[in-house]
Amino acid sequence: MTDFSSFVGRATTNSVVAVERGPVANFAKALKAEEPYFYNINEAVKRGLKGIPALPTFPFVMEHWGHFSEIQPENKITDNPVIEVLGPLMAKGGLILHGEQSFDFERPVVSGDLLEGKGQVVECYQKESNGHVMTFVVTETIWVDAKTKEKVVTSRSNVIHRQ
Amino acid sequence: MSEITDFANAKVGTEAPVLSHILGRTDLVMYAGASGDFNPMHTDEVAATSVGQPSVFGHGMFSMGLLGTALNSWVGIENIKSFGVRFTKQTWPGENLSTLIKVTSIEEIDSKTLVTMDCSLTNQEGQVKVQGTATAFR
Repeated sequence: MTDFSSFVGRATTNSVVAVERGPVANFAKALKAEEPYFYNINEAVKRGLKGIPALPTFPFVMEHWGHFSEIQPENKITDNPVIEVLGPLMAKGGLILHGEQSFDFERPVVSGDLLEGKGQVVECYQKESNGHVMTFVVTETIWVDAKTKEKVVTSRSNVIHRQ
Repeated sequence: MSEITDFANAKVGTEAPVLSHILGRTDLVMYAGASGDFNPMHTDEVAATSVGQPSVFGHGMFSMGLLGTALNSWVGIENIKSFGVRFTKQTWPGENLSTLIKVTSIEEIDSKTLVTMDCSLTNQEGQVKVQGTATAFR
């Protein structure tokens, strides 16, 4: 067993993401959501929302869509502690599994949002299970409104390497 | 079958309307595009079978997302407080996936009502694909 405790607290990301209507609506369509407020801004406004809302799992994918280089912070984090842990393990084989995922909301993410995300490793450990060495890396990213700094959503992922 | 009850009147034990969907390969292509997850195991049959998989299989986050769609339809997007799952099994094209969302507790917190639900996605044989908990205000 390797002691990975020194990875706890390491920063994983500091991203700024622009949430745009097209990706949010397309994500809703891909997940079979039919509510008109995903597709018609007037319906969203009628519900008191400032933009088209994103389904609850959108924070997991929003960096793919809204991570534009000109809005990133100058001190952009470039090293990746998750890869530092999992890379050498993967080089020796095994499987990477997404074990758990959760989101905790203060309010929905909506189109028009500019969100700032700061992520860190919150748990990193190994244990043996059914003859397999399992390595767990739990990361947490807190997304805040880039202007007001008010918390919007916390995303937590548990990624597992199984030898 | 439990009767259809809206979220505002739900009690402990009340179940949300079920969302059922037969998983197709096009769903996985759509989700790959919508999420940016282009792992070929989900969209490229040749790549998937070449490493011994019987076919492409679904993104775990598609399973969680489908459950999120059903959760949202019932409680309303602005009321969702938390949503978390454990991924237990892969999903396969042709499976009929169904959501199950059931109220387990209702409590008053700071003059608001917080509803806690068990939620899961299963196939037609009852095999659990993802399982977790959601909370929502009402």
